[in-house]
Amino acid sequence: MQDPAARSRVLLTKSFIDSHDRAIATIALALRDAAMEVVLIDYEQPEDVVSVALQEDVDVIGVSFMSGGQVETTEKIVAELARQGVPDLPIVVGGIIRPFDVPPLEAVGVREIFRGGAPMADVVATFERLSREYRGLSQGAEA
Amino acid sequence: MVTQAAGICGRVGDGIVGQEARVKAESAEAVETPYALWQRTVAARYADRSFTARNRSGVELDPVYAGLDRHGQPSEMPGQYPYTRGVYPIHYQYQPWMDLQIIGYGVPSQTRERMDLLLQEGGAKGYFDREAYNFIFDMPTSMGYDPDHPGVRGSIGDCGISVCKASDYEVLLAGKNLEKTTVSMVLNAGSPGMLALYLAAAKRRGFALDKLGGNVTNYIWDFFGHSGGTNFSPRGSYRLIADIAAYCAEYVPLWNTLTISEHNICEAGANNVQAVAYSIAAIIAVNEECVKCGIEPDSVVPRFGFHVRYGENFFEEIAKTRALRRVYAKINRERFGCKKSGSLQARIHAQTAGSLLTAQQPLNNLVRNAYGALAAVLSGVNGMTINAYDEALGLPTEEAVTLSLRTSQIIAEETGAVHVSDPMGGSFYIESLTDEIERRVFEIIDDIDARGGLIACIESGWIKQQVSAAAYQWRQEIESGARTMVGVNKYTNDEPEQFAVFQPDPEAARMAIEDVERHRRERDNARCTAALEALHAAAVDVNEGRAIGSVMAALVAAADADATLGEMQTVLHAVFGRNK
Repeated sequence: MQDPAARSRVLLTKSFIDSHDRAIATIALALRDAAMEVVLIDYEQPEDVVSVALQEDVDVIGVSFMSGGQVETTEKIVAELARQGVPDLPIVVGGIIRPFDVPPLEAVGVREIFRGGAPMADVVATFERLSREYRGLSQGAEA
Repeated sequence: MVTQAAGICGRVGDGIVGQEARVKAESAEAVETPYALWQRTVAARYADRSFTARNRSGVELDPVYAGLDRHGQPSEMPGQYPYTRGVYPIHYQYQPWMDLQIIGYGVPSQTRERMDLLLQEGGAKGYFDREAYNFIFDMPTSMGYDPDHPGVRGSIGDCGISVCKASDYEVLLAGKNLEKTTVSMVLNAGSPGMLALYLAAAKRRGFALDKLGGNVTNYIWDFFGHSGGTNFSPRGSYRLIADIAAYCAEYVPLWNTLTISEHNICEAGANNVQAVAYSIAAIIAVNEECVKCGIEPDSVVPRFGFHVRYGENFFEEIAKTRALRRVYAKINRERFGCKKSGSLQARIHAQTAGSLLTAQQPLNNLVRNAYGALAAVLSGVNGMTINAYDEALGLPTEEAVTLSLRTSQIIAEETGAVHVSDPMGGSFYIESLTDEIERRVFEIIDDIDARGGLIACIESGWIKQQVSAAAYQWRQEIESGARTMVGVNKYTNDEPEQFAVFQPDPEAARMAIEDVERHRRERDNARCTAALEALHAAAVDVNEGRAIGSVMAALVAAADADATLGEMQTVLHAVFGRNK
């Protein structure tokens, strides 16, 4: 088990070719203000997300999509998590998530989907909860 | 009721001189008043044509109203330096704005089907009976990558067209007379190569380059939003902008080589004052680069233009547009010594605010877009893109695209908003706000100068911090309820709403990849390789300050030798560096 006193660590990421970063940059600031440690990167290959997540020892991965690649990229990240032996590392996706994207995203185990207009408090609470769960603190233990 | 503004009201060509002008003329005959100059200009430019409209009550409406300004002086008139009131003496009454709905998805043949639909619906209208298309490209294309680049497959054809070779334009624009077609290309780091693909395709079809009209947004200047590692280094980007401008000034003189997007800066989170200031700072950086490269600003600046966002602050949007035009004219004349009127006149393409579109109660977006579009019209803009109401849900449906066009048509042909140029001119509120925005914009420009100029501010990360902080502040206002977004933080409902969402063709990726693979097999690879080597040599020259314009020439030659967008981009990245 990881150190329960440590701050939540979150990886936020979006594709190197997607020019819309207002949402993820804003979420990064909100999570930082909620005392989380945030790593914000572009990825070129979906698999790179997992190597950074492992290097940075994060508890949650958040992926933003505004211009395509929602399903294909997420599937590749999930497959790489399994290959690297961390299938339980939670993934949250956000942005333009269309109705037809949802079933395949849920099928690969995405934990939460946030679209534009989602209250920031919900986003922050979700990252906090998933982080605590991933650290094995979900059974009522108040740190 | 129509009230006549104090003092000066005249009709085009009827010879009536307003009271104020008469007083002036009597006291100092040598000094022509702005109004008299305007009258003379209109009479000369438009001959005897009348632009007087009549409303339903029978009241005659003058094309422009004037009077004394806030300081008691005869007001500036539309079409006069510093162009606060617009760049033309007579605007929509003579030349309506151009509707440029964004178009593009899938592979070129799929986008062509939508172009034909748009034309049939009365869209795609350019100036002077030209057809006009505003192409948006998928993200790989926009950033300069081919569809078979590793890791981009999921985005192919998803939010724009996939284009990577000159022959794609033969499909997209089959049968079109390119001398009568205005092609607008909206893209980021892929801009230099994309322009080359189009010019090469036009050349192959026998069109003279000096007859081609259109624009490439050339967003390589934009380090305000996210460009990641796909853009060139800031210094490389501004050098390339100068190269493209110099080439086009000589060979493609009707081509608009640069769009400074106040819109994109706002959408990244900046407020209106910041966005206008940063836009002007970008122009300053481009002009300084041109001067450094030995280019006379007056030879290239007339082909620069703006893209401005019309969002949530109705009156501020109008005032910022007027301030933008004024500051642009002053900077180009006073700081860069420009003399041509085209260098002093900010031409503006308007777009409604995408970041205000909500996934909740999406039909509300139709109303938001209509107000944004009306603010743009009252500001005096040259072109218009009204977003589709369903863009927060996904790529727009055909119904939504048509409704955007109808919104523009209703403003143009039903509301009467087009009868009078700069109808807000003289409003205490608008004029005061225009002056205040100008003052604050100059403060920020001074600050950027003191920090070593825009490129230094990009390199230090200062610009990005400013924009992110403004975006975060906006979001916190939504969260706290200090700022209302109807349907999001107020007047919400929990009923699930079902809307049709456009689903891009999942086969587009396969088709695009197979197509580029076949293209690489079938082309003359020796010729292509030689052209890419020549491009590399030209890039080295230009990067070292020699032979400005030769990169664009070499790009056109490479595109004509069937080099792909991604192959050309690899060469440019190697020489001009990558961002970060």
